[in-house]
Amino acid sequence: MKNQLKVLRAGKGWTQEQLGDALGVSRQAVNALETEKHDPSLDLAFRIAALFEKPVEDIFENPHS
Amino acid sequence: MLSIGKQNTSAGRKYVVRTVAFMSGYVAVNVAAIFGAFDDIEETPAAWALALTVSAPVIGQIWATLSLMRDSDEFVRAVTAKAFILASGLAMAIATMWGFGESYADAPHIPAWIIYPLFWGCFGAVAPFIRSSR
Repeated sequence: MKNQLKVLRAGKGWTQEQLGDALGVSRQAVNALETEKHDPSLDLAFRIAALFEKPVEDIFENPHS
Repeated sequence: MLSIGKQNTSAGRKYVVRTVAFMSGYVAVNVAAIFGAFDDIEETPAAWALALTVSAPVIGQIWATLSLMRDSDEFVRAVTAKAFILASGLAMAIATMWGFGESYADAPHIPAWIIYPLFWGCFGAVAPFIRSSR
């Protein structure tokens, strides 16, 4: 799923490890999200949205719209 | 076997510790058997107790692997489960083919416990190709 995660993370100056720690997931999971190898669960998508204080659809492109 | 716990997480570290512990027990029992520690066992209940003792660390290691999946984040859980399922299917297919080879083609007998190392061999073969949770 296309997303802005890498841009948002870079904007905060965080490493993948630091973002993973903030979200409670592994660095591998962050990398998989950024490289579109993993579609997040609704729960993880909302956690990411809350962390960056943005709506989910500003971070993840809705593939059905 | 140990490589799937390489992610630097609590679940990964627990998996490595559990796997090393269970496999150490497995090796210890088998080394004792090789050096004749159980050669006097002839009665059926004692022989089955020995078989269960040797199997217990393997069962423990399966539990450690399933626990890793339960405790990991959703991406690690998904790719580990995919590899586990593919490796299980591959190992069952090979074991079934060999079993019928024994029945119909005089293939040499292989003990059933080989399924476990075979499973991990299959896991090692398929895991590098599973990079996506989809």
